[in-house]
Amino acid sequence: MRTGRAAGRTGYLHEAVCYGSDEELLAVAVPFLVGGVEAGEPTFVALGERTGGLVRSALPAETKVEFLTGGDVYGRPTAAIRMYRQLLADLVADGATAIRIIGEVPTAGLGPTWDWWARYEAAINHAYDDWPLWSMCAYDTRTVRSSVLADVAATHPCFATADGGQLPSAGYVAPETFLRRERPVLPDPIQAAPPLVELADPTAAQARAAVHGAGQGRLPGDELDDFVVAISEVVTNGLRHGRPPVRFRLWAGADRLVATVSDGGTGPDDPYAGLLPCGDGAPGGLGLWITHQSCNHVAHYRDADGFTLRLTAGRPPLS
Amino acid sequence: MARGMSRYGHLCWAYDDPLGFAVRAEEFLRVGLAAGERVWYVTDGPAGPVRDRLLGLDGFAEALSTGAAEVRSLNGTYTSLAVIDPAGQVQAYRTATRLAIAEGYTGLRVAADATALVRTPAQRDAFARYEQRVNEMMRTESFQAMCGYHRPQLGDRAVAELACLHPEHNVDDLLFRLHAGPRQSGQAALAGELDPSNHDLFRTALDRAGLEPVDDELVLDADGLRFLDHRALIHLSDYAQERNATLVLRASRCGVARLAALLDLPALRVEVSR
Repeated sequence: MRTGRAAGRTGYLHEAVCYGSDEELLAVAVPFLVGGVEAGEPTFVALGERTGGLVRSALPAETKVEFLTGGDVYGRPTAAIRMYRQLLADLVADGATAIRIIGEVPTAGLGPTWDWWARYEAAINHAYDDWPLWSMCAYDTRTVRSSVLADVAATHPCFATADGGQLPSAGYVAPETFLRRERPVLPDPIQAAPPLVELADPTAAQARAAVHGAGQGRLPGDELDDFVVAISEVVTNGLRHGRPPVRFRLWAGADRLVATVSDGGTGPDDPYAGLLPCGDGAPGGLGLWITHQSCNHVAHYRDADGFTLRLTAGRPPLS
Repeated sequence: MARGMSRYGHLCWAYDDPLGFAVRAEEFLRVGLAAGERVWYVTDGPAGPVRDRLLGLDGFAEALSTGAAEVRSLNGTYTSLAVIDPAGQVQAYRTATRLAIAEGYTGLRVAADATALVRTPAQRDAFARYEQRVNEMMRTESFQAMCGYHRPQLGDRAVAELACLHPEHNVDDLLFRLHAGPRQSGQAALAGELDPSNHDLFRTALDRAGLEPVDDELVLDADGLRFLDHRALIHLSDYAQERNATLVLRASRCGVARLAALLDLPALRVEVSR
């Protein structure tokens, strides 16, 4: 039995909280969480350290809210989807009929890597719709860029307001529509220099060797191994499902590697490619899903030359 | 330069120029003579020219006269030239090895041009199964071998099917090896790189390996595995499931475990030794 604004709904109720002050955040978050606990619903907080601390201290003592560590939950969008889907499935299997979560994208995700979090926000409308979830995504309008807020409006069907109400989002678009939009991808500053490695129609093994060569000593071994997995998948997809020529370029900075893999095709048809494991056997879908969990940023774009994926390992730029 | 490291001596030598094979075979056998082994040079052609050539090489003339070195025909060495009987051939080499030891040698070492034994798919299938079984035999017997395959006659794919089953080979673009490892480390050792460019070859090699579960587990020593992708992991899990077993991949890198965790495969377990 669902409660509050989720009463009578099936599937996912996805709201944004765009707050201009801490008081405004608490005015939405505290009744939401207390209401969930009072109704016996599994209720979670997945906010960052500062906002999570604010909420924790504002909640009545003994409120049975579970705090998820924001940094771990929101490391990578596809990993967050995987974790949440598992959590939701487990809760429902244990008998939950309603679940509440308030969370936020980490500060680092609101900068140059926002594009993959925007895709996350769109995709979860579909990805969490199998479960009786009511969630709120918190955004601080004092610090978040207006372009990010425009994406928030486009990916959340409604806003929760401090007076306990809800406003529909006029800018909301269906997730498939949002995900099919071409988004501008700004070059990483280290792409201003010529690439360290440039290969035309490489084998996956040649691309892996290039990444190993450039990454040794620059990235921790585990992170480099994961990046090699990602590169191999993306080059393989380009060779198998794209159109020639496949071009691989690699740049190395002090704290990161950036690689682009382009082909002459139009990229995957599935708008959720990379965010969800393809359930329908779509070409390359599993590889792209693994890629999104093996890098610290994945962006893609289409232009006159075809389709390009850009992968970043190490520390993506913060501004 | 041959690729791979061997705890036992089983080398695949793919060649284009017969003279190149001869030079490498002589080198291989000379090491055996120096170590007190009996050595056999097994040729598909007439023995005379090979013998004449060996007589002109340091160390071989005396060995040929004492019986330490011998030039043999394929016909006289392999149980069948049509389709090899893997178990019978392994037994024949085991017996010959033990005889050599009984006669005072430290072991038996064979360089054989096996091209004529693997021309058809059926021959190759049986010979590949033999290669796996002889790997297992080499773990306990003082037997070493160099298998020559003439690439222009067989083609790259056929050579790759055989080369990947050797702990050492000289095929530059062949990325992986699957062969018996040290007995205590599992049913087979898997080394190199597995990606879609060699999945089909890998599947064929695995089918021919004839791995038998022990206590419902198939253990692969993947210490020398530099890379494998999700398709290979899924295939390993399916392979084990078909045999009602769990595949245990003993890897030296954590990345394999992370990848396997994403895939949640029912019949695969990764153990990281690092």
